[in-house]
Amino acid sequence: MKIADRLLDFLPWALATLMIAAMVHLVSVLLMPTLAPKDAYARLTDYAKKTGIAEGLVMLEPPSLGSAGVLPFEDPSFVEAACLYDISKRPYHLKASTDGDNFFALSFYATGGRIYHAITDRSAIKGKFDIILGNERQIEALENASDGSAPVQEVRLTAPTSRGFIFIRALAKRNSDVTHLQELLKNARCENFELPKE
Amino acid sequence: MTLRPYALFFRAGLVAIAGLLLGLFATVMSLNAGYGFNALQAGPWVAWPAVGVPNSDPYARAVVSRTGEAPLGRDQGLTFIAETDSSGAPLDGACDYLLTDPSPAARFWTLGIVRPDGGLLANPTGRYGYSSADILRHDNGGFRIMLSQNPQSGNWLSPGGARKFSLALRLYETTLDTDAQPNADHFPKITKLACA
Repeated sequence: MKIADRLLDFLPWALATLMIAAMVHLVSVLLMPTLAPKDAYARLTDYAKKTGIAEGLVMLEPPSLGSAGVLPFEDPSFVEAACLYDISKRPYHLKASTDGDNFFALSFYATGGRIYHAITDRSAIKGKFDIILGNERQIEALENASDGSAPVQEVRLTAPTSRGFIFIRALAKRNSDVTHLQELLKNARCENFELPKE
Repeated sequence: MTLRPYALFFRAGLVAIAGLLLGLFATVMSLNAGYGFNALQAGPWVAWPAVGVPNSDPYARAVVSRTGEAPLGRDQGLTFIAETDSSGAPLDGACDYLLTDPSPAARFWTLGIVRPDGGLLANPTGRYGYSSADILRHDNGGFRIMLSQNPQSGNWLSPGGARKFSLALRLYETTLDTDAQPNADHFPKITKLACA
């Protein structure tokens, strides 16, 4: 009898503990992408600062054996470049070419490392990527500006956040492909541009 | 049993602290356990296709932001990681392993050694892996890779001096159905040979 009483007395406190634990768990998981200090975007920003590139294309050094590389779990067979963008004021334009043979992957990430768009060289038009990235307002403005005139050359993409990064990966099937792919990626362009005046 | 007021406050405080610790513990445990839900498992090979989609679950997002990865899109590539051999025993740098075909259908694949934290292992071969294009094959198209600290003829990978390592099989533009569990018979076998 006495034990049952004590248990009944203890039960509400135990339930309260579990409820608080569940809430803390959910909140901490949901907040992790905003709070994590070393997410992919932060790592790339640090890397760009270290190499002294303020804007545009950042070529990623191939990881050397025994090192962690700029981002973890990247396939070392990739030749990689990243574009860190900020479209809060102006839209962003990316141009890159493929070589028609090797595997190219173009991936768009929001801060936190969440991927929101991904294409490969199979969807490149005549071996080229030509993509405009903007928020809804900018894309709409572009759409209005080009009404009825020349056919649209580029792919238009709405970004979910105003900051993020685009990752260009080219797979070097053999070591001998590396130099040629590096040259190709170096010639990719990514930059902000002014919206046409209305 | 009646409680004096301060004892009630004391208990409430205790509950708050215990709840906080328990909740954070649950977060750490769940984030260390993988990348959220819907893992694909084929023998020792495990992949998490959910990290490569825009509407990934909160756990996958939390893990990716914590590790600092930028996972490929699901339709671009899929990374399978093996931390054990085909019998389920953890991979050990002191042992020799034999990796044999097949490999799932994909436009390209690479198969290599990674550190548990995703970095590259220093090793005497100067190589981290093989790709579907540069691996030496048998006449019938199959392949075998020797994984050993000692020099081997043919395809050779070495974990260097490390005891702990993982294997990464990366499939690019694979036709593998990510909604169904894959067949382990279509994945490379990892057989333990001898241990030093």
